[in-house]
Amino acid sequence: MAEPLLSVRDLSMTYVRRSSLFGRRARNVAALKEVSLDIEAGETLGLVGESGCGKSTLARCLLRLLRPSSGSVRFAGEDLLSLGDDAMRRMRQAMQIVLQNPFSSLNPRLNGFDLIAEPLRAHRALSRKEMRDKVVSLLAEVGLTSDFLGRHPHQLSGGQAQRIALARALALNPALVILDEPTSALDVSVQAQIINLLIRLQNQRGLTYLFITHDLSVVQHISDRIAVMYLGRIVEEAGSEQIFAEPQHPYTQALLSSTPAPDPGGRRQRIILPGTVPSAANPPAGCAFHPRCSHVMDICRTQYPAPRRTAPEHFVSCHLYDSAQDMESNSMHNLLDKDAQQ
Amino acid sequence: MAILSVQNLHVQFKTPFGAVYALRGIDFELAKGEILGLVGETGCGKSVTGRSILRLLDDNAQVTAGRIAFENSDLLRLPESAMREIRGKRIAMIFQDPATALNPLFTIGQQLADVLRAHAPGAAAARRRQSLDLLASVGLPDPAQTAKVYPHQLSGGQQQRAMIALSLAAKPDVIIADEPTTALDVTIQAQILDLLRRLQRERAISVILITHDLGVVAETCQQVVVLYAGRVVEAGAVAAVFPAPQHPYTQGLLAALPRPGSRGSDLKVIPGNVPSGLERIDGCAFAPRCEHVMNRCRARQPAFTSFSAAHHAACFLHEASVCG
Repeated sequence: MAEPLLSVRDLSMTYVRRSSLFGRRARNVAALKEVSLDIEAGETLGLVGESGCGKSTLARCLLRLLRPSSGSVRFAGEDLLSLGDDAMRRMRQAMQIVLQNPFSSLNPRLNGFDLIAEPLRAHRALSRKEMRDKVVSLLAEVGLTSDFLGRHPHQLSGGQAQRIALARALALNPALVILDEPTSALDVSVQAQIINLLIRLQNQRGLTYLFITHDLSVVQHISDRIAVMYLGRIVEEAGSEQIFAEPQHPYTQALLSSTPAPDPGGRRQRIILPGTVPSAANPPAGCAFHPRCSHVMDICRTQYPAPRRTAPEHFVSCHLYDSAQDMESNSMHNLLDKDAQQ
Repeated sequence: MAILSVQNLHVQFKTPFGAVYALRGIDFELAKGEILGLVGETGCGKSVTGRSILRLLDDNAQVTAGRIAFENSDLLRLPESAMREIRGKRIAMIFQDPATALNPLFTIGQQLADVLRAHAPGAAAARRRQSLDLLASVGLPDPAQTAKVYPHQLSGGQQQRAMIALSLAAKPDVIIADEPTTALDVTIQAQILDLLRRLQRERAISVILITHDLGVVAETCQQVVVLYAGRVVEAGAVAAVFPAPQHPYTQGLLAALPRPGSRGSDLKVIPGNVPSGLERIDGCAFAPRCEHVMNRCRARQPAFTSFSAAHHAACFLHEASVCG
């Protein structure tokens, strides 16, 4: 089996937070705990979870915009955490990120041309004419005409601004694009345009996506596989169809049933979770989901459930599946690694 | 029976770029004890409609025509002193972002006591008991503790519950909830929508739920009113509209949503953008984006066609088929 484009092992990130303005006692907030995942070249991995679960921290750690506390990130055969700063800067050409709100991620003082040309100026030596041609062709790729060269972000609609952000991300021909809630700020009709565009660009350029979102209907539409995060850990991972057809973790089941469907006839049994997501500064012992779980058992309060493989490509961290195979493993991707060795 | 009815409501805003036509003739009725969903995309006029009802529009807004009938009065023509008796007491409002709607300087208990004192003078001890009952009725786990904390000490979902408790304090007949769950996570959204349904059931409160999320409407509301560019394009019972939407805009909105099993396929797109409101629109506002557009769509407004007692839409496609 070829090496995945991106391979993350046991990644943990702990923020140190002072307890008060003048407080000397530091408190640790574990935003990511032993996260492991693989993304194959050309596929889309959807990362789903609610606010504060660590999705965006993970994105930042992958780009090394944050230094993870431990673990490893391999991208295109390189160990990102041991690269020097210059090498990392070159590497980032191949990994780009598109953020949720283009109006805060795009510099309001730059026009369309400069916004898209900025990464090219930093990394490529192009003549004036080459630069203009390149920018115009990028605009065309995201469905905008050269009329947009002179427009500033405030003159754009949300969908147009997100297209400019995409063109900018694509300027350096990245292999991996991290999409952090790229459609959450958009209206439904515009969201559909951007999703169609993302799928088309992926097919044309062979892009690999990490699609981060809280919106389950969007994620199932675009992803090959889906990983569900809760309080810093991946609690379930499976193929997109598989996870929607047979969600196994009680949290995934609740998430799916909480998502309102525009379908008044097909009202299904709704699972309403009690309480809220606990603070990552003071997470519950054992499985962090246990205070909200309707299937909670004694063991859940003391021991974190090791990931089990319940189907060939389906992993879940829940004591309900303790009888499933691979009891000895402590990381779902150790299982994959073992397969690869055999 | 309708508890509130909005008739031919026109609102415009004066801006440096000229008049913006925000509402161009809105009509709907809220029946007693029902949840009505007011749905549409950014700029369609849903929030302006909600604010017009309580006369909370900004200073540059002007109601140029219309009537808002509540009981025997027209809210648009009441003197401000009479309006103050209705605002909060009879018709309350819940906003999208509870963190900015709650006062950060006072505890939840103090804010509740304020509302209770303003609407029903009585002993402080009685007010305190009432506050705790309210906090318990919106599902806050430890009312006595919650009353003592400041808004920033609560999570987003808890803040929204506190906001709902505040809006219930004066026992209103109608609640206008403007995107009450948009800032919340889905599992918390499910809790808040469940709470709204429970309040409607137990207290017979009528609710106008303003949202952009058709899924929320389908799961929470009995009636739906679809707005586009300041007009109602389709309205009716949720059970009638969702299975068989008649206006091309409603059809487009529903088709644009990704659904289970649609993976990788092209989503249906509504081309173009919502009109800005700056230009006068003579015909159907949706005509420039409509795949079925005909000449007359650009010339004049289509009238409403009824498909059943509980379902009507404004589109020439149907005017021909039913009348002709």
